[in-house]
Amino acid sequence: MTGTGELPTATDGRLRVLAQARWPEPGDAAPPTLPGFVHSRFSPVVAAVADRCLTRRHGERPAPEPAGGRTAVVLVSAAGDRASADHVHATVAAGGRPGPLFFFQSVPNSVAGHVAARWGLGGPVVCLAPTGDPLAEGTAEAELLLSDGDADEALLILIEQAPDDAGAGVEAAVPGDPPGTAAVAVLLGGGVTP
Amino acid sequence: MAERAPVRITGVHALSALGRGADAQLAGVLAGTPAFRPVGRFDTSARRVGVAATLADAGPLADELTEAVHAACAAAGLDTAGRAGAPLLLAAHGGTGVPALAGELARRCGLAGASRVYTSACVSASTAVADAAALIGRGDVDRIVVAAGYLVEPDQYALFDAGRALATDGAVRPFSAGRRGLLLGDGVAAVVLESATAAARRDAPTLASVLGWGRAGDAYHPCQPDPQGRGLARALGAALRRAGLRPEDIGYVNANATGTGYSDAAEAAALRLAWGEHAHRVPVSSTKALHGHALEASGLLELVVTVLAVRHGKLPVNAGWLGPDEACPLDVIRDAPRPAATGYAVSLNAAFGGANTALLVGAA
Repeated sequence: MTGTGELPTATDGRLRVLAQARWPEPGDAAPPTLPGFVHSRFSPVVAAVADRCLTRRHGERPAPEPAGGRTAVVLVSAAGDRASADHVHATVAAGGRPGPLFFFQSVPNSVAGHVAARWGLGGPVVCLAPTGDPLAEGTAEAELLLSDGDADEALLILIEQAPDDAGAGVEAAVPGDPPGTAAVAVLLGGGVTP
Repeated sequence: MAERAPVRITGVHALSALGRGADAQLAGVLAGTPAFRPVGRFDTSARRVGVAATLADAGPLADELTEAVHAACAAAGLDTAGRAGAPLLLAAHGGTGVPALAGELARRCGLAGASRVYTSACVSASTAVADAAALIGRGDVDRIVVAAGYLVEPDQYALFDAGRALATDGAVRPFSAGRRGLLLGDGVAAVVLESATAAARRDAPTLASVLGWGRAGDAYHPCQPDPQGRGLARALGAALRRAGLRPEDIGYVNANATGTGYSDAAEAAALRLAWGEHAHRVPVSSTKALHGHALEASGLLELVVTVLAVRHGKLPVNAGWLGPDEACPLDVIRDAPRPAATGYAVSLNAAFGGANTALLVGAA
C-alpha cells in the first residue's frame, strides 16, 4: 500500500486494527470548519478523519480510560500542510506579516494535539514525513511506541495534500487549498486480531 | 516495559551560534555568554524583534547536516562498513523535499538509508533519540545515526514574530521573573547511538549511555502546555523507570524552558509533579538562553550539550536571570557553572500539540 489509497485489514500480528476511517467517504463534501485553523484543509481533514475513526471505536468523546490516556497520535504526511506553508512563504517573501494563527498551524503537531485534547489521548504525539510507504512507516512507529511501553493504542493518521490529485472527490473550496486532500485514520492496538 | 540492552553514545557533533563542533558547544555553554545578535541573514525590518543566535558562516542546511553526520561518525570511529549498517533518523521542519533531503543525506554519508524523518516540531529530535534507543535496545539494529537541523530562516522567524513568541528585550530568561519569550537559534547536530555489544566489539569510545527515555502527550490544547505539567511529568517518570533510577540520582536537568511565561511555569510544575521535593533541589538550567531555540533540532543540540557537560563535570548556567518567579521554584544554576554532583542528567523537551519527551543519560 502507498499513500492514503487503501486501508489496512491486518498487520503482522503485533498490532490489530480497532477502527478505521477515510476522508472523504461517500457523501462527504467539505470537512467541518476547525476553529483556530485557517486557509487550508489540511488540519480540518486531519480532525475530521480522526473524529470519524475514534467515534467508530469509542462512540462519544472523550475516549474511555485507561485506553484514552495511553493512546498515541501518529501523524504521517510527506509534505505537511502545503497550502499554509506556501501562503506563509509568499507573504514573507513579499515583505508581509503572516497571520498569527499560522504560527502554530505551521507544524503538524498542533492539529495532532487538537485531536489528542478533544479525545483525551495522553500518549506520545509523533509526526513523521515518510521516506517510503507512509502506512508501513506509520505502522512501524505505532508498533514501536506500543512495544516500548509508552502507549497501548495508537491513532495513525495518513494525509497528503497533492496539488495534482483531484481524484478524491473533494473540490477545492478554500483559496490556496489544493483539491484532493485525502486522509486515512487507523486506530491500532496491541496483539493479534481477536 | 520491555527488557532492553544498554545504548551507548559513541560520537557527537553539533553546530550552533556558539561555534562549530562539540568543543565549541561545551566552551560556549560554560562561558555563559548568550550568542544573540542582530539578524544579518535576512531582512527583519518588518518584524517586532530583530535578533537571533546565528552562526555567521553557516552553509546550506543539507551541507551542514552532511558535515555533522561525517563528524559524528568520525568521532565514533566508524569505518565505511560501520556506517553502511547504520540507518539515519532525521529531525527537521516538515515540507516538500524533506524526505528527499533525508535520503540524500544518508547517501552522502554512506549510511544504510533514511529510516524516518521526524517533523514533530520541538520534540522531533528528542523523539528520534528515544525511538533510536528503543530500536537498538530491543535488538532491531546495532547502530543508528540521529541527525537534526534547523538554521534560522525568514519564514519560521516571521511566524514566531507574528505569534508574539519572540523576546522583545533581546534576551532569553528561562524560569526568571520578567521573562518575555524565546529567541531562535541555529542548531545542527548528529549523534551515533549503538548497542553496548556493538560498541564493545569494535572498541568504540563511549561518551555516555542513554539509560532512559519517555514520550507522553498533554491531551490539553493544540499549542499551550498543560499548566499542571502532567504529560511532561509522565515522560519524566517513564525515563526514570526505564533507567531504574530515583529522582535523587539525577544531578542535572537541561530544561526545555524557552523563556516563555506559561511554558516555563508548566515545566516547573511537571518537575514538582514527577519528583516532589527533589524538584526543588536538582540543579536546572536551560541552555536555550545561550544558543537559542533550534526548534526541530533543539532536542539533539541540547542532548549533546547535556552529555558534554556531565562528562566534563560542570553544569552550564541559565543565562538572562533577573530574579525568582514563584511559579518556578527550582534550583536554577545562575552566575557560574556548578560542579556536577552525579553523572546522571535529564534533557527535557516539549512542543506544540502537547508533545513531551525526557531523555536520561549517564556519563561514561
